Amino acid sequence: MPFLPKIGIIACSGEGCSGGNISRAAALKVLHELRPHKTLTICLPLFLAGDSGERGFAEIFPTITIDGCSKMCAARGTARYSSEPAVKINIEDYAGDMCLDDTERWTINHSTDIVNRIAEDVARHVDRLRKELEEGLI
Amino acid sequence: MRPQRPARNSRDRLPVEATVRMSGKRRLLIPCSGIGKAVGEVAREATRLLMEELRPGTFETVCLPLIMTDDEGDTGELVRSSEVFAIDGCPKKCATASVKHAGGEVDHGVLVVRVLAKNRSHRPESIVDIGEGGRQLARDVAMTLIEEGGV
Repeated sequence: MPFLPKIGIIACSGEGCSGGNISRAAALKVLHELRPHKTLTICLPLFLAGDSGERGFAEIFPTITIDGCSKMCAARGTARYSSEPAVKINIEDYAGDMCLDDTERWTINHSTDIVNRIAEDVARHVDRLRKELEEGLI
Repeated sequence: MRPQRPARNSRDRLPVEATVRMSGKRRLLIPCSGIGKAVGEVAREATRLLMEELRPGTFETVCLPLIMTDDEGDTGELVRSSEVFAIDGCPKKCATASVKHAGGEVDHGVLVVRVLAKNRSHRPESIVDIGEGGRQLARDVAMTLIEEGGV
């Protein structure tokens, strides 16, 4: 069986607003629940703090970024310090501007459905990317 | 008794007077945001404790990835002009590195694994749920930063 790389999941995880926490929760759900053996992650700031090993992460593993707001820090940071993400998810496309509301900055209270929808979409992208890798399309 | 933090949304900065010390600097609290290790979640929980329970109205925070990517905004200037408190989960010290990347300096820093080494009974379980040990460790980290920073 040929080597099939895992898919990198990178969330912005920003503490500045609820969107960051939702991105983090969705990423953790994919990593630990939906696709635990097909995905892996790296702390986004590690691209900056780390060495060439960390910066080569997105050159080895196709990545899916999950951003909590339209500033798209995870997508831009990954592209800048590693390589262009294969998929860029913006939570605003699912739920509008989550940064207008501070109530879920630290804990998920009423956005469990949004977290689940995003996580399921990310899981579908994981399956698609791995299939494309298997078929040599990417 | 310390004043309660006023209601706000996160796009508005805290009222400047709420986070300004006698030195005239705002207090900026930056955790590492790590998602790969449980100690990153502990850093995040320690930040929540400081901002919501232990010292409400004392600190403001900013998304760590924004420090890395906000070239044209005011994030870098905020970092450079503030008294910076950093909570790093692991020895990679991503929060500290990001502050330096923005041209700032960490005035008071805590490393979660170093606090853990002093009391190994307060150990996080996993990143999904740090458990009671992780929550105790987060409180240890928060108290260390309070003592270190004199806040």
